[in-house]
Amino acid sequence: MAKKPESFLPLSQATYYILLSLREVRHGYGIMQDVEEVSKGEVKIGPGTLYGAMGKLEKQNVIEMATVQDDDRRKYYQLTDLGKEVLLLEYKRLKSLVENSGVLIKEMGER
Amino acid sequence: MTVKKFKIWLAPDINKEEEWLTEMSQKGLHLQKYRFFTYYFEEDHSKSYTYQIDFRQGAKQDYFQLYKDAGWEYITEVIGVFHYFRTDSKRPDVQKIYSDSQSIQDSYIRMRGFYLLIFILFLVSQLGVFTSWGGWPRYIVIGVDVVLILVYLRLFYVLNKRINYYRKS
Repeated sequence: MAKKPESFLPLSQATYYILLSLREVRHGYGIMQDVEEVSKGEVKIGPGTLYGAMGKLEKQNVIEMATVQDDDRRKYYQLTDLGKEVLLLEYKRLKSLVENSGVLIKEMGER
Repeated sequence: MTVKKFKIWLAPDINKEEEWLTEMSQKGLHLQKYRFFTYYFEEDHSKSYTYQIDFRQGAKQDYFQLYKDAGWEYITEVIGVFHYFRTDSKRPDVQKIYSDSQSIQDSYIRMRGFYLLIFILFLVSQLGVFTSWGGWPRYIVIGVDVVLILVYLRLFYVLNKRINYYRKS
């Protein structure tokens, strides 16, 4: 009864950056830092929001716990196969949105 | 020096409680401890903190570590589900633990589930009391129960208002 990756789209801006940050195994604060850096400071996630989001995504099997030695105080995460598919699908969706509309938006600006 | 203040808040008013604690901190009174509706403040005019309260059941070590990593100092908890954090007011980055309205709404929904369960348990427990008391003590029980039920109804009314508010934004 696995959910289809399409059913997760569209992702919120924060969720998109969270999944993107898990191109590497990271702990919660590592994710917060990466999101801020990759989004050039546009998206800053508070710890309460992140903790809730991680719980939800884990329940949906988009991410999973990763085992990291030498640190038993933090929880580390990684993308599941489903999570990778969701991220890639959302990337394609956003890309085609921008590509399909780019010329038209430009024309509107010139008018 | 420790300053004590007695105050009762309704659970969904944690945002007002946060503001109050932050204002107290600006005046040099920083929350240290909470016990039976009493806030214990430590006086220090050289500091100022922003306070935030998080509703979270079953918080484990990774939860507290995340807040610590993100620069939030753990102060105290109330009934095991309200967690009090603070950070230096002068910090330039995120000053709130929730950064979008969806997650604020989620926290109020969790809170509603928690209080609904308590309310149901309370009602069930009162059924037993009801049948075992007769005569005038029964009227005292009814009186107390009516007041408590009104408090609960008010609580759910405010919680629902909050949940709807964050749905729109």
